[in-house]
Order: sequence, then C-alpha cells, then structure tokens
Amino acid sequence: MKETIKNTTLADRLLFLLLISLSIAGIFISRDALSQGSDVIIEINGKPSYTLPLYSDRLLSVSGPHGNTLIETKGGKVRVKEAHCRNQICVKEGWISKGVIVCLPNKLVIIVGGSKKDQQQGIDAITG
Amino acid sequence: MQLQDKRRVAILSAYALALHGFESLLPTPIPWLKPGLANIITLVALILYGFRTALMVTLIRVLLASIFIGTFLGPAFILSTGGGIASVIAMGLSVKFFKNLFGTIGLSLIGALFHNIAQLSLAYYLFIQRIEAVFIISPFILLIGSLTGIINGVISDILIKNLLKINDEKIQNVAQ
Repeated sequence: MKETIKNTTLADRLLFLLLISLSIAGIFISRDALSQGSDVIIEINGKPSYTLPLYSDRLLSVSGPHGNTLIETKGGKVRVKEAHCRNQICVKEGWISKGVIVCLPNKLVIIVGGSKKDQQQGIDAITG
Repeated sequence: MQLQDKRRVAILSAYALALHGFESLLPTPIPWLKPGLANIITLVALILYGFRTALMVTLIRVLLASIFIGTFLGPAFILSTGGGIASVIAMGLSVKFFKNLFGTIGLSLIGALFHNIAQLSLAYYLFIQRIEAVFIISPFILLIGSLTGIINGVISDILIKNLLKINDEKIQNVAQ
C-alpha cells in the first residue's frame, strides 16, 4: 500500500489534485449560480401573479391600489421603474440581481432568485 | 485469437462480472452512485494483456451483468455501456500515448473521469435534458469518482504487482 502510493508518478498526483480541486470548485460555483436564480416572481396581495425570466428585457405594468407600477427587467437585473406611491422606496432601491423589492402601498413583492422551490408555499408538516 | 487468450478473457470477465454484481447489491445513498469496482479488472486487463482484452472484458461484463441484474436495454444498461466503453478507450489511449507519464492510479483516475463524463452526457442527452440539473450534480459525481478512482487504482496496482510476481516465480520454476 505504502509502496504503491510512493510509486505514483508526478502526473498521477497532478491529475488527482486537479480533479479534486476542480470538482470542489465546481460544487461552489454551481451552488452560487443556482442561488441567483433565473426567475423574477411578482406577488400581488401575497399571491404569486407573474413569473418573468430574469435574463430578458421586458417592461411589465402591474395595477394596484395606487395605480400602475412599471417593472423592468434587463440583463439579469430588475427594478421598479415607476410607481405612484408616496415614498417611492421601491423605485429608490434601483436595479437588483438578487433579493426582494417590496412596495407596501401597492401590496407588491418582487422576488429574484426564485427557483421552483420558492413557489411551492405549501404546508411544511401536519401533526396530530 | 488463441485459446489461451480466450481463457484469459473468460476468467477476467467472470471476475469483473462478480464484482459488478456484488456492487449492485451494495446499498448506496444515491441509486446510481457506485464505486466502480469492476474497473479494477478492466485496468488489470489493460495493463497486463492490452487494449483489446480490456475492451472485450468490459463489453462482456456490461452485457452479462445487465442480463443478470435485469436492466438489459434499460436506461441503466445504456449508461453503464457508454461509461464502460468510454473509460476503456480513454485508458487505452492514455497507455498508448503517455506510456510512462501515468501510473496505475493515474490511469484509474482517467478511467473514472471519462466514465463519469460519458454517463453524464448520455444521461443529459437521453434522459434528463436539463442542463442545470447536470451542472449541479456533476461536481459531486466527479469528486466521488476521483476518490473511488484512487481506491480502485491502489487495488489494481497491488493486484498487478502480485500477478507479475507470481508470473516471475512460475518462469523461474520452469527455468530451473
């Protein structure tokens, strides 16, 4: 056993190191890419109403209690372009590529990084 | 092909088949995650007896194992055939072109790597067809494949050394 490990060539060891480091790096890279998500989910009144692909240039108008809100996606980012609420917090938040934009007066939530899992808002468990 | 070669292929195939069958009985966390013990026999065949013997042993092993286990012509059969052939070809080419560069363990790693690459691409084109799923699982599969490749390589190396030693003793006995 010891002899076998001692007899490995330099190429063997390099190949092993390369494979191990590449695959460990791959685990982190793929996890990172996954957590960004590729969908924008727009919830109105707590219900998921629209799903937009993040990597497309689109302009969506959503009506709410304070009039229409204009949501724009472009190059992997999303923003609220125009809203008719008083604070304009959602507009000031600007372009985001992950996270959430909330517009309370319009009861509007924009979620980036939604994979299929986030859409299933079912019951975790039932006891009794 | 001479009678001795045929006998050799038959014995090696039987060993590989037994390992393959044993492996399919082992409980694993993920269904198609296997240590690839049969690759030990393929590697021994390749190093001691050449590419053609190794390829034949692999083909016989994959075919008969699938019939015995009951996955013949199913998805698992296609995946294991593709993986087996790819790994034999990759190891054979490495032996041919980088003769003194890689040792047994390096060859085992190459075999495991190409086995996994072939299986992942076959699974993607034929069954999954979702690139992000392949993208997520492939680093895990490559990592585990490298670790089992090392273990298989060590076992193969020990096996080859002992086989050569026995051979030498036989020749010495005959010479005396």
